[in-house]
Amino acid sequence: MYQFLYNLIGNELIAGLLVAVVPLTIILVFALFGIWLERKVSAHMQDRLGPMRTGWHGWLQTVADLMKMLQKEDIVATGADKTLYNIAPILVFTGSFAAYAVIPFSSKLLGSEVEIGLFYVLAISSLVVAGILMAGWSANNKYSLLGAMRAAAQIISYEIPTALIVLSMVMLTGTLSLDKISQMQTSSFWNWNIFGGAIFGLSKFLLIPFMFVGAMIIFISTLAEVNRVPFDIPEAESELVAGYFTEYCGMKWGMFMLAEYGNMFAVSAIVSILFFGGYQSPIGYLGNSIGAQWLVPFEQGFWFIAKGLTLVFVQMWLRWTLPRLRVDQLMTVCWKYLIPYAFINLIIIGIISIL
Amino acid sequence: MNFYDIIFYIFAAITLLSALFVVTTRNIVHSAFYLLFTFFGVAGIYVLLGADFIAISQILIYVGGILILLLFGVMLTNKITNVEIRTGTVHMLPAAIASGIFMGAVVAVMVWTEWKSEPSVIPLTTTKDIGHLLLTDYVLIFELLGILLLVALIGAASIARRDKE
Amino acid sequence: MKQYFKNTWDGLFTVFIGMKVTFKHLFTPAVTIQYPDIKVKLPDRVRNRLYVNMDDCIGCDQCSRACPVSCIEIETVKSIPGEDLGFTSNGKKKALWVTKFDIDIAKCCYCQLCVFPCPTECIYMTDVYEFAEYERSNFIYKFATLTNEEAAQKKINYEKLQAEKAAAAAKPKPETPAQTENKSE
Repeated sequence: MYQFLYNLIGNELIAGLLVAVVPLTIILVFALFGIWLERKVSAHMQDRLGPMRTGWHGWLQTVADLMKMLQKEDIVATGADKTLYNIAPILVFTGSFAAYAVIPFSSKLLGSEVEIGLFYVLAISSLVVAGILMAGWSANNKYSLLGAMRAAAQIISYEIPTALIVLSMVMLTGTLSLDKISQMQTSSFWNWNIFGGAIFGLSKFLLIPFMFVGAMIIFISTLAEVNRVPFDIPEAESELVAGYFTEYCGMKWGMFMLAEYGNMFAVSAIVSILFFGGYQSPIGYLGNSIGAQWLVPFEQGFWFIAKGLTLVFVQMWLRWTLPRLRVDQLMTVCWKYLIPYAFINLIIIGIISIL
Repeated sequence: MNFYDIIFYIFAAITLLSALFVVTTRNIVHSAFYLLFTFFGVAGIYVLLGADFIAISQILIYVGGILILLLFGVMLTNKITNVEIRTGTVHMLPAAIASGIFMGAVVAVMVWTEWKSEPSVIPLTTTKDIGHLLLTDYVLIFELLGILLLVALIGAASIARRDKE
Repeated sequence: MKQYFKNTWDGLFTVFIGMKVTFKHLFTPAVTIQYPDIKVKLPDRVRNRLYVNMDDCIGCDQCSRACPVSCIEIETVKSIPGEDLGFTSNGKKKALWVTKFDIDIAKCCYCQLCVFPCPTECIYMTDVYEFAEYERSNFIYKFATLTNEEAAQKKINYEKLQAEKAAAAAKPKPETPAQTENKSE
């Protein structure tokens, strides 16, 4: 993508900016669509209908909400620390947007082809933690501070099982590049990492159960990293009002919302790249069979978005199924269950992969 | 001036300015948050030097780990704004002389060292080489660090659990 | 150790059971209705907005007195002889001009206590329940059929009559005093 634009325009800066616009558009559109989807999914799971009056089945509802949010007065509480209060939403959004820099949407549409994409995603998400702490502290509100503290503790804790599963996948695939991991799982869903990867043999069948465990662990821990129910104690509305963004309103609040939905899609994308083949089609490409090569990247984009949205749907599904965990239960799940399982999984995958 | 030079100067300015704010601001939470930008600027400079792995490690360890711990510590302190950070200024003259000499030495080393400045091929990725080096030449240090961290972990756990027994 | 694995299994298994339940509900039809488009049929004796059929009102003021929140205000003027006010639908002869019949529906508590005392059953609850307004003053419903001028005219008529009566009573002085005394007793 970058190379193509660079050849077209001939300016590094403009080409780079244009490449950066693509994921931004995707986040914005996804946030609009995701919020609508969340409302509809939650409504239908509770035998309701959800928004129905703005456009067909209320699909313009989020657009209308966005318009409302843009017009709102920007209130800063008197006791708030104004500098940090204003920086925090930007920082949180930056953290979630920056993760998109390395996510390959298709074999032609990927921002940066860095070799250490996976490591980068893990690292840059820590910016979100700093932003959340900043938001929580600067608002000068006890609910915000409590929410921020909980968020930081939770995200740091759940980074460990995520990192362990990522490590096991890196051991198996031998690369940190998200694009290369996607490329390895080509041609059929049987080659996806959740079914033991592309190399056929005894090790593939041995790996399958451990891959299922790994996929489940990374799904749970990434769910906790983006503060979704059942791990939403940082913004638990019944106890902390809205957690770290209690005091925010208008578009600054909108930035937090954008960041949340951006993060949701980002972690879904990471899980789908690691275990479900990334942008690879499960059944082969139409473009290859009819001899139209230019169609393949678009198909890949479609499959990637489809996989991401499926995982996002599962996240929403879990949200409207499970009640919120208590703080101690949250830590128990992480430290006493996920981390030991992830460690054992890591060791076993290591042993199998050197067999 | 090349495009990357501009980026370098931006990162350098971010690093230096935020570092300056860290030491001058009266609010210790602000100091901690300015430190975030310092770390980030340094990471950017690492990236420009072709040390991508180090840059990401910098963000992961300093921003994601140390800074957050620091913030926790700072937020748990009693007094946040207008903290009187005063250490007695005794022996002004010897201290000035010593730091002057030290600075002179550093500058002298900087000036007289023959820096390798010929444009070398910047490796596309450093991860593989770092991995090889860690597990061949520096394996002893690597293992020792591992043991050190394990000891620290066990120590922390035992301190945390002491009351229960 | 056994307990540990059992906990893990229970944790996962129960989550899947819950997900199955919510997934089923994803496809059950919604129980809600789209309110302004589709309206629920109200029960027969539902109590909503008050309505007064002024053709039947005899201005007896009983509803106003029954109202626990005093939301009904009635003013009446006696008719003068020769004016025909007609009859109510159940055959009562009307004798009072109702110059003012205001119901402040914002005060109304929908207790229906005003409905029962009405001798002609002219005040009753309807099934209209959507009557939001932008101005609070719009909630004062004026049911009086007479316009202000008419009402004023009636008042003047009545006062004129009273004055005439008084004048008539004043002129033949010797006859009347006994009668007035009786009345005052």
